[in-house]
Amino acid sequence: MFPAGANSAMLRKLTPYLFVAPLMIFIAVFTYIPILTSLNLSVREWNFLSSNMPFVGLRNYEQLLLSRDFWNSLRVTTLFAVFSVPLRLGAALVIANYLVRETLSSRLLRGALFLPSVTSTVSIAVVFSWVFSTDYGMMNALLEPFGLGRPQWLQDPHLALWVLIFVNTWKQIGYDIVIYIAGLQAIPRELYDAASVDGGRRWHVFRRVTLPLVMPTTYFLLIISVIEAFQVFTIVNVMTHGGPAGATDMLVNLLYEIGFVLFDIGRGSALAVILFVLLVALAIVKSRIIGSKVHYEA
Amino acid sequence: MTRKLHSTIAATVFALFGTLGTADAATTVKFWHSFNKGQGEALAKIIAQFEAANPGIDVEAEFIGNYNDIVAKLQAAIPARRAPDAVILEITRYGLFANNNILTDLTPYFDADPLKSDLYDYAREVGVINGKNYVVPFNSSTPVLYFNKDIFARAGLSAQTPLKTFDNILAAAKTISEKLGSEGISGIAAPGQFARWGLVMANDSELIDPTTNEILLDKPNTVEAYQWMASLVNHHKVASPDGVTDEDNGRDAFLAGKVGIMMNSTGNYVGSKKAIGDNLVVRPMPCNKVCSVPIGGAGIGIMASSPKEVQDAAYKFISYAASPEANAAWFAATGYLPINKKSAALPVAVKALETQPGIDVAINSLPYAHGRARSTVVTWMRSTEYKMWEAMALGQRKVDETMKDFAEQTRAENQRTSN
Repeated sequence: MFPAGANSAMLRKLTPYLFVAPLMIFIAVFTYIPILTSLNLSVREWNFLSSNMPFVGLRNYEQLLLSRDFWNSLRVTTLFAVFSVPLRLGAALVIANYLVRETLSSRLLRGALFLPSVTSTVSIAVVFSWVFSTDYGMMNALLEPFGLGRPQWLQDPHLALWVLIFVNTWKQIGYDIVIYIAGLQAIPRELYDAASVDGGRRWHVFRRVTLPLVMPTTYFLLIISVIEAFQVFTIVNVMTHGGPAGATDMLVNLLYEIGFVLFDIGRGSALAVILFVLLVALAIVKSRIIGSKVHYEA
Repeated sequence: MTRKLHSTIAATVFALFGTLGTADAATTVKFWHSFNKGQGEALAKIIAQFEAANPGIDVEAEFIGNYNDIVAKLQAAIPARRAPDAVILEITRYGLFANNNILTDLTPYFDADPLKSDLYDYAREVGVINGKNYVVPFNSSTPVLYFNKDIFARAGLSAQTPLKTFDNILAAAKTISEKLGSEGISGIAAPGQFARWGLVMANDSELIDPTTNEILLDKPNTVEAYQWMASLVNHHKVASPDGVTDEDNGRDAFLAGKVGIMMNSTGNYVGSKKAIGDNLVVRPMPCNKVCSVPIGGAGIGIMASSPKEVQDAAYKFISYAASPEANAAWFAATGYLPINKKSAALPVAVKALETQPGIDVAINSLPYAHGRARSTVVTWMRSTEYKMWEAMALGQRKVDETMKDFAEQTRAENQRTSN
C-alpha cells in the first residue's frame, strides 16, 4: 500500500485520464478499432460466411483500381461534389444574408428552411422519387401542360445526377443557412457603418466586408459539405440504386454494393480505405489552398 | 417490522425465481421472414395457432424486408453472432448458406417426418441441394399474367384477347397505350426479375441450367427474350421506365389501375384482388416457344449455430407451417401455391377456389413448372442482373453485348466462388 500522501498524488495524476477515459473508449471502439479492422480486411478475402480469411496482399486494391466501376464512381462523386457544394454554399450565403435580420418573417423562414435538415433522409428520398416519377410524378404533371415533355428524371443518365444534387441541396441548405447566419451576426456592426459612411454600394460592401469576414464559416462549411458529398448514400440508395447505367453510382453506394450485395468484404474494405485516404488528402489540400486565405479577426 | 421486511424480501425472491422458471420453460425460436401487410397477418395467425398447440415453444417472428434484404442482413448477422434460429430464404439463394455450412442439414428431421410424403414433388425438390434437405418449403409460387378487365374494355379489347405469345402480349399492350395513354395508363408493367426469368423459360431457355449449373445468359433464346422485354420499355414504349428502376413501381401502378397487364408472382393474387376487385383476371404465363414457368417462393431453414433444443423446436414450427391446416390458410390468404397434397381438400382452400376466380391458375401451371439453379453463384447473378436489366431496358446498352458481358462476369464469379 502507498502512504496516504502518495496515494492522493497518484489519484490527482490519474483524475484527468479517468475523466477522458469513457470518451476515449467510445472513440476507440467505434472509430479506431473499425478503421484498423477495415485495414486488415482490405488485404483479405472474405464473404462474411467462411471461417477462414486468406491474406491476399494488395489484390483487392489492384482489382478496384483496374475496375471500370471504381473510376466511374470516383468521377460521379467528384462531379456531385463539384456542383453540389458551391451551389449549396452560394445559395445558403445569399439566403442567410437576407434572413440575418431579426424579424418575425425571417425567423419563420429560418425554421421552415431548417426543417428538411431534421427530416429523415429516407422519407425525403421516397417523396422525391414520386415527385420525379416519369409517368406518375408531380414534376412532369406540372411540365407537360407547358409542352415541356415528360423527362425521365431518374432514368436518364444525363438528368439523374442533377436530380440528386437538387434533392441533396434542398435537404442540407437549411443547416448551412443557420451556420452562415451565426457567422454574419458575428461581424461587427461598425464595419458596415464605416463602409456606409465611405459611400460603399451594397455589392461592394458584401464583397469587401461580408465575404472576407464570413470566410471562417465558409471554410468550415466547405470542409463539412465536401466530406458529406463524398459520403452521400441514402438518397442514392433509395432513389436510383446507383443507376441508370451507373450515372449516380457514388463511392459509398459502390462500397455498399460490393460489400453488402455482392458480399466481397475484402474489396469493400479496400474501397473504404481508399475513400478515407481521399478525404484526408482533400482536407490537406483545402487547408493549404484555402486555409491561408481565411481571416479569423476583423 | 424486521419480520415484515424479511417476509417481503422472501416473497419477492420467490416471485422472481418463479418468473425465471416460467421463462426457462419456453424455448424461444427467433424467426426472420419477409412478409408484411396482409401476408404478414396471415403468417402471424399461423404462428399463433402453432404456439397455442405447442405451449413450450415461443416463436419470435420479425419482418426483415424482401428476400434480398434477408440475404444481406443474414450475411452481416452471422459474424456478429446475431443470426436468428430460423429464416425464410428464397429458393434460388439459400445455396450460398447451405454450401458454407450455415444451414442445418434437415434430412434426418425430414426423413422422420410424415410431412415428407404429404408434400408435392415440386415443393419437396426445391429444398434439396446435393441430396441434402436444407429448407422446408413455405410459400411456393410461379409467375402468372394478371390483367385489368376494365382497362381492356376501355381500350376495346375483350377479356378473351389471346395472351399466349410475346406478340399477343405486345399487341394488347400497344392497343392499351395508344387508346388510353392520354389518361396516364400504360399497356404493361415492366417485368420484375421473377417474371423475366419466366419469360426466358417461355422462350425455351434458362439463365443457369438447374441440372448442370452451366451459365446460359448468352444463349440466343435468352438474349432474344431480353431483347423483347427491353423493347417494351425503350422501343415500343408500352411499359413505364419507372418500373425498371424500381420494380415495385410497376406493381403499384397496376394495383392503382394505371397499367393494363402485369406479370408477377401468384403471391400477389390476394393483394391484387383487394386492389382492383372483380376487374382482376389471371392467366398463365405466355408459352412463346414452350410452356415452362419457374418455381419461386421461399422455404424455411434452420441455422447450424443454434442449440439443439432450439433447432428441434424450430423444426416443429416449420413442419407445422407446411402442414395441411397452415398451408390451406396461407393459400387462401395470399394466393401462394398449395405445397401440401392434403391442403386443397380442407374447407378454407375449397372456399378460396370457389370464390376467388383465378387463384387456381398457378396450380394449373404446375405440370410445366420447373425448379431453378441454386448454386452459390446464383445469389451474385441475381444481384447483378438488376443493373444489367436496367441498362438494357433504358436503352443505354445493347442487349446482346450486355448479356455476353454478363455471362462472362458470371462465369468468372462462378470460377472464383468454386475455388
